[in-house]
Amino acid sequence: MRLIIQRLTQQRVNSLGTPLALSVGLLLAGCAGDKSILDPAGQAARDVVMIWWVMLGFGTVVLVLVTAFWLYTFKRKEVIRTPAEERTIARRWIIGGGIVLPVASITALLAFGVPTGQRLLPLPLAEPPEVIEVIGHQWWWEVRYPGAEGGEVVTSNQLIMPAGEPVDFHVTGADVIHAFWVPRLGGKIDMIPGRVNKIRLEADEPAVFGAQCAEFCGAQHAQMQLYVEAVERDEYDAWLAARQTEALSSLAANDQQHETAREAFMTHCASCHRVAGLSSGEEGPDLSDLGSRTSLGAGIMAMEEGAVTHWLKHHQRLKPGNKMPPHDDIETATLESLGAWLETLTP
Amino acid sequence: MSITMQRLNLTHPLHFVIGLTLWCIWFVAVYGGHAVACSVAPPAPEQGVFTLVNVMLLAVSIAAIALLAALTVGCCRMAKRHEGRLRFNATVSAGLYLFSTLGVVFAAMPIMGIPPCL
Amino acid sequence: MTTINREATPEGDNIKGPNQLHNDLHDIWGNPRGLKALTIVNHTTLGLRFMVTGMVFFLIGGLLAMLVRTQLALPDQDFMSPDIYSQVTTMHGTVMMFLFAIPMLEGLAIYMIPKMIGARDLVCPRLTSLGYWCYLFGGIILSFSLVLEMAPDSGWFMYTPLSSSEYSPGLGSDFWLLGITFVEISALSAGVELVVSILRTRTQGMALHKMPLFAWYILAMALMIVVGFPPLILGSILLELERAVGMPFFEVAGGGDPILWQHLFWLFGHPEVYIIFLPAAGIVSTLIPVFAGRPIVGYGWVVFAITVTGFISFGLWVHHMFTVGIPQLAQAFFSAASMLVAVPTAIQVFVWLATLWLGKPKMKLPMLWIVGFLIIFVCGGLTGVMLALVPFNWQVHDTHFVVAHMHYVLVGGMFFPLIAGLYYWLPLFSGRMPSETLGKWGFWLTFLGFNGTFLIMHWTGLLGMPRRVYSYETGMGWDIFNLLSSMSSFIMSAGIAMVLLDFALHFRFGKPAKHNPWNADTLEWANSMPPSAYNFVSLPKIETRHPLWDDPNLPRTMAEGQHSLAVATHGRREMWGTDPLTGKVREIIHLPGNSWWPLFAAMALAVVCVSLLTRLYPLAGIAVVVAGLFLLRWSWENGAHPKAAPDAEVAPGDPPLHSRTMDGPGLWAMSITLLANGSFFLSYLFGWFYLWTVSPEWRMPETSPLSLVGLILAGVALTAGVVILEKLVRGLRQGKDAGLAVGMYSISALGFVQVAVTLWVLLSADLAVTETSHDAIIMVGLAYALLHGGLGAVLTLLQGLRVGYGFVGAHAPFEPAVVAQWWRYNLVTFWILVGALAVLPRVIGS
Repeated sequence: MRLIIQRLTQQRVNSLGTPLALSVGLLLAGCAGDKSILDPAGQAARDVVMIWWVMLGFGTVVLVLVTAFWLYTFKRKEVIRTPAEERTIARRWIIGGGIVLPVASITALLAFGVPTGQRLLPLPLAEPPEVIEVIGHQWWWEVRYPGAEGGEVVTSNQLIMPAGEPVDFHVTGADVIHAFWVPRLGGKIDMIPGRVNKIRLEADEPAVFGAQCAEFCGAQHAQMQLYVEAVERDEYDAWLAARQTEALSSLAANDQQHETAREAFMTHCASCHRVAGLSSGEEGPDLSDLGSRTSLGAGIMAMEEGAVTHWLKHHQRLKPGNKMPPHDDIETATLESLGAWLETLTP
Repeated sequence: MSITMQRLNLTHPLHFVIGLTLWCIWFVAVYGGHAVACSVAPPAPEQGVFTLVNVMLLAVSIAAIALLAALTVGCCRMAKRHEGRLRFNATVSAGLYLFSTLGVVFAAMPIMGIPPCL
Repeated sequence: MTTINREATPEGDNIKGPNQLHNDLHDIWGNPRGLKALTIVNHTTLGLRFMVTGMVFFLIGGLLAMLVRTQLALPDQDFMSPDIYSQVTTMHGTVMMFLFAIPMLEGLAIYMIPKMIGARDLVCPRLTSLGYWCYLFGGIILSFSLVLEMAPDSGWFMYTPLSSSEYSPGLGSDFWLLGITFVEISALSAGVELVVSILRTRTQGMALHKMPLFAWYILAMALMIVVGFPPLILGSILLELERAVGMPFFEVAGGGDPILWQHLFWLFGHPEVYIIFLPAAGIVSTLIPVFAGRPIVGYGWVVFAITVTGFISFGLWVHHMFTVGIPQLAQAFFSAASMLVAVPTAIQVFVWLATLWLGKPKMKLPMLWIVGFLIIFVCGGLTGVMLALVPFNWQVHDTHFVVAHMHYVLVGGMFFPLIAGLYYWLPLFSGRMPSETLGKWGFWLTFLGFNGTFLIMHWTGLLGMPRRVYSYETGMGWDIFNLLSSMSSFIMSAGIAMVLLDFALHFRFGKPAKHNPWNADTLEWANSMPPSAYNFVSLPKIETRHPLWDDPNLPRTMAEGQHSLAVATHGRREMWGTDPLTGKVREIIHLPGNSWWPLFAAMALAVVCVSLLTRLYPLAGIAVVVAGLFLLRWSWENGAHPKAAPDAEVAPGDPPLHSRTMDGPGLWAMSITLLANGSFFLSYLFGWFYLWTVSPEWRMPETSPLSLVGLILAGVALTAGVVILEKLVRGLRQGKDAGLAVGMYSISALGFVQVAVTLWVLLSADLAVTETSHDAIIMVGLAYALLHGGLGAVLTLLQGLRVGYGFVGAHAPFEPAVVAQWWRYNLVTFWILVGALAVLPRVIGS
């Protein structure tokens, strides 16, 4: 009999073991993700993940114990006690569970958490960090590099940052409140019209990160993605240099092939869109380096051959309500040539 | 005894709410004071925690703690002297004053560790 | 004769007729049928109306939720376009928070409180009725926006600039701002009434420390409503003015600040969730002792915890704004306070545990829901403490993690206790028991379905899924979890449907319940089941916290008329007015009977709401005047008026009628209303100082546009009025009413002088209210002073008239004291306004 029970229990343990290992494995694997808070790529994000697991563990223990005690009270046999004994027991529960437990927990939490938050603050450093400005629009991202050598660099929906060093992001909103958030690097900060908020992020190593607007900003809030990539310092400097206004202007202006496209651009697009050397519109995203970007429309579609033309033709269907007018009045041929030309804008 | 004097007696249930009201007033003073100070005269970040703002916020907090602690002790003593309804009132008030005192202590701790306005 | 069928009465078989008494009381208190049912002011009927209407809105909100979960079940779905989806999510939150949660719990309190404290009705029955109609009409107006596909779509917190006219043209935001403010009238009126009823109408001997814990919880909730709703009312008024007129309170270019909206919203928003939680915790504190078979352990601890929660919850609001860019030290205060509020909640959880530990708990159907509450709510509370930590908050704010937390505390902390309470009190409502089988199935499906839906959501949030997204792309790792979540939501819906079915069916098929089926200790069970319109034939004297346990015969002796006020000969609806601290009887409170005025006033206000919505401003103006006339007419039928209590005869040995004293419930109601008003005023001052110090593009003129001389003149007129009024009231206290009418008229004249001069100051200031927030906010402040001064002048004018009619005088000195409160409030706020708007800028400079 004992042997049977032993074998049964062993089977239970064994059969628990594999699924348990599998689930933990799956869980940890399931933590990974482009935008996953639980897949940190910077120290600030790592600190938060560590606190999270500690809080989860502690919280689970508290929940399980409290529930167990409650349920247990239904099962126990009744015990006769004197009123004095009852008062003592009651006091132990109330003071122990109701005061000591929470006070100890929150003191520990606060002591832990406050220094962690310091890392994200743009406190003065011996060497001033790189500053990148991000401005939120309905429903695209304007990215500016005020400190670039040779003059300010401007792009849209694409954020390249240096890896391995702290970077200060100065953010604001152009129309409504948006929020700048790169989950794998750190917390989010609101982009509020009229204010400039600052957050410091640092990527350990070169990598690509997902980022998405994190404050409801209207109909296309869900489709306001930002491509964020951290690269080595020299690659970053080169990337910036290639996007200096002079370099970009020559790119746009010296292109003999796309004369008609450029004319069409000046007629239909220049009032809203900037292309270095050609126009200075500010309503819509800067297009000077459009061809070099990873995606279009703030994450709607990947940048491939024909993508821009497709976007120009169908953008109201792809991102309904977006602020660019429908272009039904422009001939398809014109749109196609515009698309082809814009794709060549690759520094 | 006039109504006011009756109400000031530490066995009056009005004292249930005075402690936490004082906590709220302290909180508004500290949060608002910090906001106004940062708007009008923010200290240099290099000073860290050792700024006039921190000192003044701490001073206000210590004053609040002293007042609330005194009221706590007062209510405790009152509770021992009475029975029944008045004892209940004074005991609960003492507990609430104690919580308010410790509430100021707990929420004021950051003043000693975090520089203002950043 | 005994009544059986569906009513279990305490009288039993052998007791000889209190039936004559019952008939007499029924004549006075009974509810009419047909069209006249619209005039009912009785709390039992109105409480049920609130709850039934609340359930209807719950179903609407739930349907909207199911639409959301259906769209999010799979990636890249857009059967609801982004616009419609935004309307659906916004309305789901709005309907659940404003049209279900608060009114449902209000309704339960309105129904239960008088019964628990041994009273026959709430203290201002017509106000209850006004509250219900405003809720119904406001809710209908707001819900109608869905039908028109014009629902608000900026999220249920309506953040500006998204919700302002530039980025939300169209009527959506206006539906929200006007509809919600309309509904808030009902919350405020319930708040005022419950405070005064709990403090002044408890039955004899029910001292403060002997009243049921549920009454403490509702007292706290009501006071929190009174103080917590006005900031949102102010914010809504300001945003509507910005949208309709162009006054730039929240618009940066005009000198406003979008963050001001957030502060005003969350100053309301955070107390709101505790307003929702406390009554539910009150249900738990009521049920646990009954099912454990013993008094609650630590009554004083619970009172302590309730008070702490009530206050501290007002110091937490910025934890919803941790990502706004506020300095770290300021955030730390709110972080600390947000963690501190866990202490009183933990105290309650362990008081409940200790009570169960020391008792003999039985797992009946209501207790099943209580255990469900415990698990879900504690989980939600723990994630709440996590969210209070700023760095963690910065990651999970605006993700599905927060959505999960919020549903855990709201569904766990409100819905589960609500269902427990409804199951518990169902026999009282109807005299029948629900079905155990349906009930258990309903519980398990709801519990498992809920956890399936929302536990997983913590995970999707941690994987980076933001909230308020109408769809998401595949490949983020979110797909399977969203699908599981959505599938579970259908299970949860099935469970809820089962519960509602159980409730609905039991009215017809439920087993008749025996009297006090759970063997409870509180007075509401001394009623017949269902209760009579007047609750109790006679009002008992209470010695302890557990009247029905200490004297199981009490229901019978009460029904036999053996206790007090078992009298109907004066044709008045009467109950005790008692001392708030000791429960000693002070006066007899006489209550108004059924009345059309609340319905008429609510209808006029509905016209105001709709005409403001459709921008028909002249119509709105007329409707405001009509509503004002209805309200003033209603207030006219008070006190010694023939329709109220024209004769003051009482039985020998009984105390006087409240309207013949100087300290009746009306005085208290005015004080609590002024508390709400004061909260509104403080919010306004906050807005003024906030914009002055923090607004990014604030522009303030070198010299103040307000004439200080004019304001001081107006203030002097007001002060003179108050001085005379105080003198008159002092005289009335001594029984003297010589020159009362003349005095009232002169005070009124001074009031009109104050109004006229203030108006002159406003007009001569030539404010450019659409250009700068400075001018706009000053305009609001002066309008406030004008409205209050005007109302004060009108009230004293009416008092003068009433003296002439003989309704007010030394024999009925009640009302002038009430009006004096209003004037005192005006005096204080007017001078503060002068100081803040006209003196301080001159002293400090811009």
